Amino acid sequence: MKIFSSYHPVVLLCYFLSVTVMVMFTAHPVLLAEALLGGICFCTVLERGNQFFRNLAFYVPLFLMIAVVNPLFSHNGMTPLFFLNGNPVTLEAILYGIDIAVMLVAVMYWCKCYNIIMTSDKFIYLFGKAVPKISLILSMALRFIPLFKIQMKKVSVAGKAMGLYSSKSRVDKVRSGMRVFSVMVTWSLENAVETSDAMKARGYGLKGRSHFSLFRFTARDAVLLSLTILLTAIVLTGTGLGSTAFLFYPKITHMSFTPFSVVVYVAFGVLCFLPFLIEVKENMKWKYFVSKI
Amino acid sequence: MFKKISIYIVLLLVIPLVIATGTMLFEGRRFVFISLVIAVLSCVPFFLSFEKKQGNTKKMVVIAVMIALSVAGRFLFYPIPFFKPVTAIVVITALYMGAEAGFLTGSLSAIISDIYFGQGPWTPFQMFIWGFLGFFAGLLAQKLIKSRFWLCAYGVLAGVLFSLFMDIWTVLWKDGGFSTGAYAQVMISAVPVIIIYAVSNVIFLFILAKPIGEKLLRVKIKYGL
Repeated sequence: MKIFSSYHPVVLLCYFLSVTVMVMFTAHPVLLAEALLGGICFCTVLERGNQFFRNLAFYVPLFLMIAVVNPLFSHNGMTPLFFLNGNPVTLEAILYGIDIAVMLVAVMYWCKCYNIIMTSDKFIYLFGKAVPKISLILSMALRFIPLFKIQMKKVSVAGKAMGLYSSKSRVDKVRSGMRVFSVMVTWSLENAVETSDAMKARGYGLKGRSHFSLFRFTARDAVLLSLTILLTAIVLTGTGLGSTAFLFYPKITHMSFTPFSVVVYVAFGVLCFLPFLIEVKENMKWKYFVSKI
Repeated sequence: MFKKISIYIVLLLVIPLVIATGTMLFEGRRFVFISLVIAVLSCVPFFLSFEKKQGNTKKMVVIAVMIALSVAGRFLFYPIPFFKPVTAIVVITALYMGAEAGFLTGSLSAIISDIYFGQGPWTPFQMFIWGFLGFFAGLLAQKLIKSRFWLCAYGVLAGVLFSLFMDIWTVLWKDGGFSTGAYAQVMISAVPVIIIYAVSNVIFLFILAKPIGEKLLRVKIKYGL
C-alpha cells in the first residue's frame, strides 16, 4: 500500500488530470523535462526494483524511434544540417522530435502511475454519484470478468469429466472451446437476468438509497487538493499570458527567464514531484520508526 | 426535463467553451485538447438519457454481461495483436438490443478494457468510435440481421473506420495539428492493421452473430425485456 493511493479519489483524479492535461498540451522543454523526471521517479517508487529497467527497455527505444522519425518526415525549420535524399534535415525538426518524444514518454509514465493508483473501486466511486446506472453497469462488468473465468473452468472440467472432447487433437480442443464459450454465454445471460430480479426484489431504484464507501475527505486531502489547484492555476496563468510560449518552427524561440516564467517552472516542478516527495517522506518516517524499535 | 436541458447545455454551451479555452490556453496543441474533450462530451448525452430512463434493470445487466464478454474476448486473443472480438460483440449487442445498448456496450467496453490494458489519452477516442459503431449497427439492425452479406460488409467498414479514426488521433497526438500529408503517411503504414481489423471483425461476426444473437433473443423473449 502506497501512501499516495490512500488519498481521497477526488483529490487523486484532480491531481492526475491537471498533470497529464498540462503535459499533453505544452511544448515547452523545461516543463516537459520536469514532467518526465517526476513521472519516472514516481513510477519507480510505485513499482518493484527490477521493473525500472524493464520500463527503460521499452521506453528508450520508443523515445529514440519518435525522436528520429520526426526530422525524417518534417522538413520545416530554418537551419538545415544536412540533406537526405534531397530533403533538408533541420535542427528544429530534430529538437522538436526530441521534445515530442519527451512529451509522449512522460504521458505514458504518468498514465502508468495513474493505472497503479486509481484502482477500479476508486473509479466507480468517483462516477457513482453523477451517473449511478452507468457506474453500476461498469462495476457489474468488472465483477463478471473474474466470475466468467471461474465458471468457464467449472464448465470445461465438468465437460471433461463427462468424457466430452478429452482427446488431445487440435480440432477437438477448438470444438470444446467453442462449446464452453456457448455454454458460458447462455449461463451468463440467464444468471444476469436473475441478478436483476434479485436487485428489483431488494428495492433497487427506490428512493432513499444510501451508498457505502471507505473514502473519507480529511485534512491532508484538503491540503493536497488546494496545493494542486494553486500550482495548476499558476502554471495555467503563465501559459495563458504566454510566458511559457515556445515555438520550434520556423526558428527556435529563446527560452524566457523572466521572474514570472521561473515561478511557473518551479510551480510545475513542485507539482510533478509532489507524489514522489510524499512517498519519500513516508518512507523516511517508516525507517525512522523502525530504527527506534 | 432538467436532464434534457442539461444535454442541450452540454452541446450548445460547453463545446464552444472548450474550443475557446483550448485555443486560448494551448496554442500549439489545441487540436488535441479540443478533440479529446469533444470525444468525451459527445458520449455524455447518451449516458444522461440512459440515466433518465426508469426500470431497465434487466437491460442494464445484459449490457454488463456483453461488456464483460467483449473484454474477456480481448484477453482471450491477447497474443494476437489487433485480432479482437470487441467490435463484433458490440455490433451483435446493438443488433438485438437496440442502438442505445450498442452505444453503451461499445463505449463502456473501452473504459473497462482500458482499466486492464492501461488507460491513457486514447480512451475517450475508443469510447467514441466503439460507441458510434454500436449505435449505427443498432440503427441498421433490420437490414444487418437479415443478410449475412451486409453484416460482413458492416464488419469491414467498422474495421476500416475504427482504424481511420484512431489514426486521426495518432496524427493529432504526434504533430499537434492535422495535415493531410502526415495523415496519409500514417494511413499507409496502418494498412496491415486495417486489414487485420476488418478480417477479424468479419470472422467474429460470421461465427458469433447467429449463436449469440439467438441467445440474446431467447433471453429477450423469456424474460420479456
